[in-house]
Amino acid sequence: MKGDLYLAWSSDEKIREKGESGGAVTALLKFALASGIVDAVLAVKKRNGNRYDGVLSLMTHPDQVIESAGTLHFATVNVAKEIKEYLNGANDMKMAVTCKPCDCRAIIELAKRGQINIENVILVGLNCTGTLLPAVARRMIRDEYEADPDDVVSEDMDNAKFVIKLADGTTKERELNKLEEKGYGRRENCRRCTINIPRMADMACGAWGTRGKNATFIEVCSPKGSKLIEKAIEAGALIVEPADREAVEERAKKDKEAIELAEAWEKKDLDVLRLLPYNDRLKYWLRYFDRCIKCFGCRDACPICYCQECYLEPERGFVKGGETPPGMMYHLVRLAHVADSCVNCGQCEDVCPMEIPLTKLYYMLNCELSSLFDYIPGMDVSNYPPLTTVTDEELHIEEVNVLRRKQLR
Amino acid sequence: MKSIEHVPTICPYCGCGCGIYLVVKDGNVVGMEPWKDHPVCEGKNCQKGRNAHAFSYSEQRLQRPLIKQNGVFEEASWEHALGLIAEKLQGVDAEAVGFINSAKCTNEDLYVIQKFVRVVKKTNNMDNASRFCHSTTVPALISTVGSGVMTTSTTSIEQADCIFVVGTNLQETYPIIARRVIRAKRKGAKVIVVDPRRTITAKNLADLYLQVYPAADNALVNGMMRIIIDEGLEDKNFIDKKTSGFDDLKDYLTTLDLSEIERTTDISIDAIKETALTYAKAENACILYNAGIAQHGAGIENIRALADLALLTGNYGKPGTGVNPLRGHANGEGFGDMGPLPVFYPGFQKVNEETAKRFEDIWGVKGLPSTPGMTYMDMVENCKVLYIVGANPMLAAPDTNSVRKALQDKDFLVVQDIFMTETAKLADIVLPTATFMEKDGTITGVDRRVQRMNKAVEPAGDTRPDWVIFCELAKMMGYEEQFSFSSPAEIFEEIRTCVPQYKGITYERLRNPHGIQWPCPTEDHPGTEVMFVEKFPTADGLGHFQIADYKPPLELPDEEYPYVFTNGRVVFHFHTGTMTRRTKRLNDELPHGFAEISRADARELAIEEGDEIMLKSRRGEIKTFAKVTDDIRKGLIFMPWHFSECAPNVLTGPSAGPPSKMPEFKFCAVRIEKV
Repeated sequence: MKGDLYLAWSSDEKIREKGESGGAVTALLKFALASGIVDAVLAVKKRNGNRYDGVLSLMTHPDQVIESAGTLHFATVNVAKEIKEYLNGANDMKMAVTCKPCDCRAIIELAKRGQINIENVILVGLNCTGTLLPAVARRMIRDEYEADPDDVVSEDMDNAKFVIKLADGTTKERELNKLEEKGYGRRENCRRCTINIPRMADMACGAWGTRGKNATFIEVCSPKGSKLIEKAIEAGALIVEPADREAVEERAKKDKEAIELAEAWEKKDLDVLRLLPYNDRLKYWLRYFDRCIKCFGCRDACPICYCQECYLEPERGFVKGGETPPGMMYHLVRLAHVADSCVNCGQCEDVCPMEIPLTKLYYMLNCELSSLFDYIPGMDVSNYPPLTTVTDEELHIEEVNVLRRKQLR
Repeated sequence: MKSIEHVPTICPYCGCGCGIYLVVKDGNVVGMEPWKDHPVCEGKNCQKGRNAHAFSYSEQRLQRPLIKQNGVFEEASWEHALGLIAEKLQGVDAEAVGFINSAKCTNEDLYVIQKFVRVVKKTNNMDNASRFCHSTTVPALISTVGSGVMTTSTTSIEQADCIFVVGTNLQETYPIIARRVIRAKRKGAKVIVVDPRRTITAKNLADLYLQVYPAADNALVNGMMRIIIDEGLEDKNFIDKKTSGFDDLKDYLTTLDLSEIERTTDISIDAIKETALTYAKAENACILYNAGIAQHGAGIENIRALADLALLTGNYGKPGTGVNPLRGHANGEGFGDMGPLPVFYPGFQKVNEETAKRFEDIWGVKGLPSTPGMTYMDMVENCKVLYIVGANPMLAAPDTNSVRKALQDKDFLVVQDIFMTETAKLADIVLPTATFMEKDGTITGVDRRVQRMNKAVEPAGDTRPDWVIFCELAKMMGYEEQFSFSSPAEIFEEIRTCVPQYKGITYERLRNPHGIQWPCPTEDHPGTEVMFVEKFPTADGLGHFQIADYKPPLELPDEEYPYVFTNGRVVFHFHTGTMTRRTKRLNDELPHGFAEISRADARELAIEEGDEIMLKSRRGEIKTFAKVTDDIRKGLIFMPWHFSECAPNVLTGPSAGPPSKMPEFKFCAVRIEKV
């Protein structure tokens, strides 16, 4: 039932071997498909065996599932958007989807907007402390680890270290903080992210709390998740033991450490901006907006943007067509439309050809709105974005920044 | 719906060579996703790349061969259309037939096309838009440094300490290269932008911006070199060891009068000096240039001066240095490499008896042509029979009115394309071809990176890849043996045998997302990111300084035509608009052309923003809308060349003589009338 905490592993030796942490996730996905609970599994797979090139793969045969086993830290696939855009919002089939916390949250936001049929989706959440862009990872491994990026067979982030394992069996580790200060390491949005355990999913799976055992720590987060896990146990696909106190405490401790690190990054990245006078803040951003070539990449990649007819299109008349940089309203309208719902997934910045630090802007504003409205996007399908449920009283708050300003004083 | 597949391929637009993922669902491409492990773009694309899948599904795609009868196109079978073409080609003398090809074709398409022209028609009458892009680059750079290619890699631009951007609106025309400049700046690089228009590139990237008088770049660079020598900032060690001809250049430069250069360029000596010192003092300085430099009567001199500047300061042979011509087309390097040109067999092997003999052995034929063929405009003007693949001279060539007349006068005109272009409308037979999504092949972009394009879907309607069409024709014309290719992979294997730069590249190796940068001599060679590391590919291995004396443009403004006219590209569209104007999201942004005019000129002529105006040159006239701006020099008019209804090439005309025969697209004289 919801709230159950397990250590789990696959009963299948092959899956245990190929998968990480006892292969519990692979076992669950395979069982979900084999038992007919879902019609398809959607997971990220290496293309051509290249771990820097993860692509989303829709699998309909149980034997295919093992191909997606193992963790990929260099894949930043836009799961929610692809479900909406290419898989008809999961309206045609039931599917189990592996996803990081930001993916889960984006899916939930799209479900609120009627773009994904959440009834048909089992969210198999994966703990996450961040991902690396493939290009950054390759440079980092070449320059900082002095290794051939293509020789890496696995990687892990633990105890503030980034560890790579090479084909010859050797491992190399470097301190994450030092890497990131040099511009390597995780995407900037990931560094600031405090949501490591996806409790908004149907289950949250990860290595924290397993204390060296070849197993996955699973937290059951919904009746839907509970049903799948119980059936998998019943069928003998998944072997579990209850997580003991030490396991739970270890997991909580790791989570706390990761959150503290993220908060430190958040402070470092955003306080500079928060301390700027209002006029300079706008100037700071206009300097970046002036670079924009209006490729619409940020909008296209944003899992929150879903309108068929977008305000930013030239025929709507808000932003004049054919101009580079586009009028300021391009960025400000987009910001106004999604800031309350931004799940800090980083997809906008990933695709921006002009290197505009969009996630900093969106995350900062979302933090302000979150504290103001006591609302965190992407947590609960039934909880609507504040700007759609704004009250009269809230409409009369003069400065949305009022709370934060108090804190800084 | 039971599957989605992500097919990696390369964006078909400019020469950056960015990767994209085509999302294929039930046999159709339903979208584009970023390819984040792609070395060139790292998941970032411009609006053209983001929408690259759209035009293939345009309702206007040509579906079946068309034969014009009594002025009207009627659908025909492939057999019938190709039979007619074979008959016509058979019956025409080699000197009277010409073939124009395009960098929209893959390397495999182009290889087969040039082989067809040489083997079946025994002529070198073939050319492509490289005549219009870089016909000045090739002789200029061959005479100075031995090769007309980009010497660094787009990715290593980040390692430059100074980036000299001249004659290119980088941020609109090569956004993904502009990104590298942004990243270099973040690390402290200084950026110099030279452009008569204060473009988005100048505004965002430039630490130093010089709003130079049009076509005066050569004078500017000579002035810079003079100052560098006066200040003793030349790289003496590099000059001693790796170059020849320095003393002559130095003697020439000392004769120059800097105040005259100030007048010619309309840039103050102080600004020229600051520019010169910024460039010369950088550890690694990188020159990026394009059409604004190359498309001039004196384009060769412009580019020689740039090569001199880099040689003078030792800026060759290291990452983030060099003189780097940018390529407008996705296969902008490949359409030179494959030799579909009047003067080169594949692999830039000069047309002569020795080369012809070598290819006779390779191809197992006799009588290959050993004298240079006709260039682009010569064929348009003089060939009785013209076969055009993927090119649109009605918009891309200078002096549209003359081009139209020449094409209308052809005995027989074949156009092979994906849409009914302005050129195709004039054809006797139109053959419909497959797009980049519908075929396999390789392309070679700006930094010599050979990459695979992967077929995502079946060709639309009854369309066929270009190479298939030419193999069919060759068979009909009795050369089945030489054209028995069954796949692009097989063609590539033959390319490897005769293009030395490609020898070590295989289809299997190209599965790696990084592609391979030529030269790649062996299968275990990683490819070459930076050229000229040890020596220059000249006979003596040295770089040769060449005196590049400033020459004024071919057609100067006068009382009757008092304004200077130039043209270029905007980020939303590509070249003649064939693809982007059929892409809704791009065309909705900018569905019509415009003419930029300075506020001062507008005031004098009482023209206001949005007014309809008429531009007239000695060759023709076009109507368009005025865009009044502070960003353009007084006396200069700029138009984008993507729009057939107001095509700048109606106005352009004068061309350089041999060897480049480059039309001076970027400078002609016009007058303006309010409509």
